[in-house]
Amino acid sequence: MTSSPVAEPGVQQSPSSLLPRIKEARLQILNELRKIVVGQEEPLNQILIGMFAGGHLMLQGPPGTAKTLSIVSIAKVMNLDFKRIQFTPDLMPSDISGTEILEEDQTTGHRVTKFVAGPVFCNLIMADEINRTPPKTQAGLLEVMQERQVTIGGQTYALPKPFYVMATQISMEQEGTYPLPEAQQDRFMLSIMMNYLPDDQEVEVVRNSTSAVRVELEKVIEGEELLDFTAAVRGVTLPPEIGQFIVDLTFATRPTIAGCPDFVKDYVSWGAGLRASQNIALASKSAAACDGRGVVTIEDVKAVLMPVLRHRIGLSFRAEVDRVSVEDLINRIISITPTPAGK
Amino acid sequence: MATETIEETAVPTEISAADAIAAIAQGKERILHEVRKVIVGQNQVVEDVITTFFAGGHCLITGVPGLAKTLLISSLGRALDLRFRRVQFTPDLMPADITGTEVLEEDRTTGQRNMKFRPGPVFTNILLADEINRTPPKTQAALLEAMQEHQVTVSGNTYLLEEPFFVLATQNPIEQEGTYPLPEIQQDRFMFSLIIDYLPKNEELAVVNSTTSVSVSDVQKCIDGQTLMFYQDIVRQTPVAEPIIRYAVELTARSRPGEPGAPQFIKDYVSWGASIRGSHYLILGAKARAVLNGRPYVTVKDVQSVAAAVLRHRIVTNFRAESEGINSEEIIRRLQETVQPPKSGL
Repeated sequence: MTSSPVAEPGVQQSPSSLLPRIKEARLQILNELRKIVVGQEEPLNQILIGMFAGGHLMLQGPPGTAKTLSIVSIAKVMNLDFKRIQFTPDLMPSDISGTEILEEDQTTGHRVTKFVAGPVFCNLIMADEINRTPPKTQAGLLEVMQERQVTIGGQTYALPKPFYVMATQISMEQEGTYPLPEAQQDRFMLSIMMNYLPDDQEVEVVRNSTSAVRVELEKVIEGEELLDFTAAVRGVTLPPEIGQFIVDLTFATRPTIAGCPDFVKDYVSWGAGLRASQNIALASKSAAACDGRGVVTIEDVKAVLMPVLRHRIGLSFRAEVDRVSVEDLINRIISITPTPAGK
Repeated sequence: MATETIEETAVPTEISAADAIAAIAQGKERILHEVRKVIVGQNQVVEDVITTFFAGGHCLITGVPGLAKTLLISSLGRALDLRFRRVQFTPDLMPADITGTEVLEEDRTTGQRNMKFRPGPVFTNILLADEINRTPPKTQAALLEAMQEHQVTVSGNTYLLEEPFFVLATQNPIEQEGTYPLPEIQQDRFMFSLIIDYLPKNEELAVVNSTTSVSVSDVQKCIDGQTLMFYQDIVRQTPVAEPIIRYAVELTARSRPGEPGAPQFIKDYVSWGASIRGSHYLILGAKARAVLNGRPYVTVKDVQSVAAAVLRHRIVTNFRAESEGINSEEIIRRLQETVQPPKSGL
């Protein structure tokens, strides 16, 4: 809970005058990305919403859906220090965070331990196929995500700011994977789905990727400015009735709460926790800011609901039998949750 | 201020117990005030965790993910000016990942190489052991040994832990593959077993509003570790009337199905009753409750107020109870109805 939804003390309140700049920067970033990424508008939108809210993101989807390409391109456009780690079954926590090595001092000949920073010391780390690595290594990364610092040999090293983790997962059915426990999935603000492109877009991808043209991406914003954006996003107003709507939605996913819908009791084994409500609120604020608005609307909430809730609801065995997906369930919950009148 | 007064008079023997108790009650209010800046709701859990701090016991917390367990515990740690560490328990965590390991190091002056102990995360004041049931038994046992002995032994050398030392372990109640439930005997080491549940809607809304906006309040330190340990002594020195101790012992003893005098519902539904640690912690918890409320004496109500937290994990229900939907909570409620409190017990 000291995770992304909680602001770091000392972050200054940014004036809402930053909102037009956020809207503009978003469009510039998307323009740059479009030079290289075909389609995937919705996922790219969601990635920016998540990043402007300061959250860590999980990207899901089959191979070859531009997950890595999108993230590498975003790092370039935002001028972020980028590292990529391929998670493997034999990866150790120290391969991520860094390690202490014994070093001989040239002048005195004494040996001293020296900290060699791991790849996590960057602005944007891509954790590829995070579920291929054993739990202790996963936990190592998630701890870093949460605390934004690394403690080794009693010494604490702060990570650069901003710091984002973008993780990809391969589909669960494969052998030799270690599914992330739900408590750890919960630390990702959004879980973004990237799907295969429609045929005509795939044609475009093939045409572009086999041509001789090399696209150069321009830097649009800097990491520093992103930090200002995240502060400004927190300053966006969440009207009380929208806050209520968010909490109503989250409560409706919990099968143990009295009065929850029958289909939730049948199909859900565990519902979305408090972090879900927090992240819906924060992501909605970010969605509003992306549009240059200082007040959250119902549409903002609906736009972020799916990626916030997707990885936070556990389906029951019966849902599997009846072929009910998390998406179906969330849509059903939205349809029965009364929206505040006079929005 | 209260802290300083206590430290000045902290010379053993010469302090008036009444003053100390007043200071403790005041200290608790300040901790609550600080924690309330960050934590919304969960009154019972906050109260119970503070009780274990003042009684010097460990705590097992069961609840689904995302209920602000870490925030709650780390905030309490900050309010108490104690060092806090969190360890995520995983299936591949090894005992040395908790206790520490020995590394080869060269002495600068002599050039000799020695084994040097690198303390693990257990060397702290408050250890949050997150999802303890995800780790295999050997690693669980290493932690539980440290809890019990307040020391760890690595390669034949014994290292004392810092005092005070508290373990707050969390468990996820969701039935899952690949978890290793804590054996009863190990659960027994925890003074309290607490259940943390979803907040009511209005409180969850308040959390959402406060945590997604700009300003975040900072928790101020109220009591340091030294003072807390002194307060723990005060708690232990609180007198308890004989009939109240008898009442606590009876509550515990009646929960054992094999003992003569066990009520019928215990024989029917309980496979395993509470150990002697049950009575021990009922009294210690009741003492802490009394003192935290500024009272120098223990009442029956104090015992009753900790009964669920103390006995919940110590009473194991059988298959029949499960099929009839009776949990240990219900057993404890019936026990309290059956066992008559002493008439003078207030």
